[in-house]
Amino acid sequence: MIAFWVLAPVMVIAALGILFVRKAVHAALLLAVVMISLAMLYAALEAPFLFAVQIIVYTGAIMMLFLFVLMLVGVDASDSVVETIRGQRVLAVMVGGIFAVLLGVIVGQAGIGTAVGLGAANEGGNIEGLAEVLFSQYVLAFEATAALLITAALGAMVLAHRERLVPRETQADRAAARVRAYGEHGDHLGPLAAPGVYARHNAVDTPALLPDGSPAEQSVPTVISNRGTGRPSPSYRDVDRVVGQLQSRRDDQDPATDTVVEGSGSAARGEDA
Amino acid sequence: MNDEFTGPAIEWARLWPLFAVFGTALVGVAVEAFAPRSARCLIQSSVAGVGLAVALVGTVLVALELPERAGGAARGDVTAGGAVVVDGPTVFLWGLLVVVTVGGLLLFAERRVDAGLPVFAGQASLPPGSTAGPGGPGEPSYEDWEHTEVYPLLVFALGGMMLFCASGDLLTMFVALEILSLPLYLLCGLARRRRLLSQEAAMKYFLLGAFSSGFFVYGMALVYGYAGTLNLAGVAVAVRAGGGQEVLLLVGAAMVMVALLFKVGAVPFHSWTPDVYQGAPTAVTAYMAAATKIAAFGAILRFLYVGLGDARWDWAPLLWVVAILTMLGGVVLAVGQTEIKRLLAYSSIAHTGFLLTGVLGLQASGDLAEGQISSLQAVLFYLATYGVATVGIFAVTTLVRDPGGEAGSVARWTGLGRTSPLVAGAFAVFLLSLAGIPLTAGFVGKWSVFASAAGAGAWPVVAVAITSSIIAVYFYVRHIVTMFFADPPEDAPVVVVPSPLTSVTIAVALIVTVALGVVPGPLLDLAGHAGQFVR
Repeated sequence: MIAFWVLAPVMVIAALGILFVRKAVHAALLLAVVMISLAMLYAALEAPFLFAVQIIVYTGAIMMLFLFVLMLVGVDASDSVVETIRGQRVLAVMVGGIFAVLLGVIVGQAGIGTAVGLGAANEGGNIEGLAEVLFSQYVLAFEATAALLITAALGAMVLAHRERLVPRETQADRAAARVRAYGEHGDHLGPLAAPGVYARHNAVDTPALLPDGSPAEQSVPTVISNRGTGRPSPSYRDVDRVVGQLQSRRDDQDPATDTVVEGSGSAARGEDA
Repeated sequence: MNDEFTGPAIEWARLWPLFAVFGTALVGVAVEAFAPRSARCLIQSSVAGVGLAVALVGTVLVALELPERAGGAARGDVTAGGAVVVDGPTVFLWGLLVVVTVGGLLLFAERRVDAGLPVFAGQASLPPGSTAGPGGPGEPSYEDWEHTEVYPLLVFALGGMMLFCASGDLLTMFVALEILSLPLYLLCGLARRRRLLSQEAAMKYFLLGAFSSGFFVYGMALVYGYAGTLNLAGVAVAVRAGGGQEVLLLVGAAMVMVALLFKVGAVPFHSWTPDVYQGAPTAVTAYMAAATKIAAFGAILRFLYVGLGDARWDWAPLLWVVAILTMLGGVVLAVGQTEIKRLLAYSSIAHTGFLLTGVLGLQASGDLAEGQISSLQAVLFYLATYGVATVGIFAVTTLVRDPGGEAGSVARWTGLGRTSPLVAGAFAVFLLSLAGIPLTAGFVGKWSVFASAAGAGAWPVVAVAITSSIIAVYFYVRHIVTMFFADPPEDAPVVVVPSPLTSVTIAVALIVTVALGVVPGPLLDLAGHAGQFVR
């Protein structure tokens, strides 16, 4: 009885917490509190097997599944608190409260004496006693649970699994298609240039420049070029000028590669500003 | 504790139809795993068909061999350690359930009403409204796919229902309740057209159903606290002995009844019915509306009559209130409906009320006058008439179609009697039967439940029942009038010619509905022959 009076308030508060916390993760952790407290109650009621199963199956397996699902959904996911039917929440709380009070009063009237029959039930071992019940009077219910589990598995497949209409494209398929395109249309076989290579900017909307100074249109992601926000190629004509400057500077001075690069960089920046 | 374990005596000779049904479902699951997609639909429906035929034959064979009990007042056996009771009412309900499921199966396999496409979604996991498949025209798509899992699910649901109305203890009853509910939740969400509505229906049904299951378990625990056993016969012994914590029994029984009344859609617990009936694929609605009610009333009858028969004066007043609310609520809300399936949903709620009226007719067998119909007999007969008419009427609603799916609005059915008198005529006959007009099965059913309730002194309930029947006649007949005595609109919906699958279902339901109205005797005798529950 002591165990009950210690655990019951904890469980009730945790269970109420499940209802009132906003974040699903907190609710799941509070549920774990309820489950572990239940397990302790089972232990106090001389049901060691149920105690172990409660911990292993519920707290261990099912809780972890809950948490995995929450991780997939997002730990910060919280319920929408918008009421679709006006006044529904107030009404629900009122009716639920009346029901809870009613139930509490009525069940509270029942003088629940000390538990009897525990000794008889556990005579010959707790697990043996359970097995006796499970495989005699409840054997059919036990077997029928199989139908329940199969239905659940089938249902999960029906609602969540999406079958492929076409086989998944493998890397080999993609490579073959590329070579075929090269053979038929002469499409570029190698990897595409990254945007911004040899150009003034290395932003993704700037096409790479080919060695002759013309922009490589394909180096810009198709999303950007389709949206029309890529930089138009004429703005790169100034490359010619930079090349010309470099040429003239090389004529004037002793050519030094690193200064050239620096010079071109600053010239480009200066023009841009 | 015995050192030697002796297993319970399971009488396979009585239980084998049940196992045949579960076996069929398992074969269906295996077919789903191994058969190629193109062949699956045919194999699945044939497997289910053969399984149902075997179950029907088995039910008849079992019914013929039931041993008599209590000097012929009851027939049957308690088996599997008290978990299952195979008695007269059980086999009657088994037979009825299998017949209704055959109707459901035929509607499930129908392809011709929707331009050659199956009635279920091609791929339920696709977001609603998304086009099928990745490619354009000519590319492979999900459009002509079908979830063939529906056939094993249907058979699983049947197995759960058969176990539900046969269960002799509350634990088995609970497991059976879940077995029958889970497939139905799934099936509700698989409509091909109007996916969002269908998913919403499945979600609502699932959440509320899970909630009501919670009530069942809590109630079960309280009843155990009172009686020290979950066995209904054991509960009856404890009730007869009296004493103990009676409040536990009353609260526990009330909570178990909440779950059972939820399943049949009685009024304070009815709010799921219209949404689910409307959103679910019509083939599923037809099956669910009929079969769930049959199975759940079997369980209600067994729980109240066997377990709480001696506490009759404790539960009867409450059930009076529920029955009155259900009848009035059903018909009053049905009057304003503009959707065919919602209309039928509210009318099914009203029928739940009429059936509850019949349940109230419980009397001790000594109190029954000579030749008077017992309440059990009346309710069983009513379930038969209601089940057959329901499958028929929902089957007819699949035939009237707009481009986007079924023509759901009542207004769209205007003038249908002039363009397609056959379909409208069949619909009218089912409506008349549901309304309880003489010469249809519904009349005899209503008359028998009212008579048995009146015999047990539930006069006020019968008075309300007659009043609500009259209100119900108003909206049924109004619908018939708009079908036959108004001009069809310009863009009238198309009435498709279904394959023999649906035609046969409708035809058989029609014939049975009329035949039971003209010569109800044989089936009434059969229901009477079923006798009392075996404890």
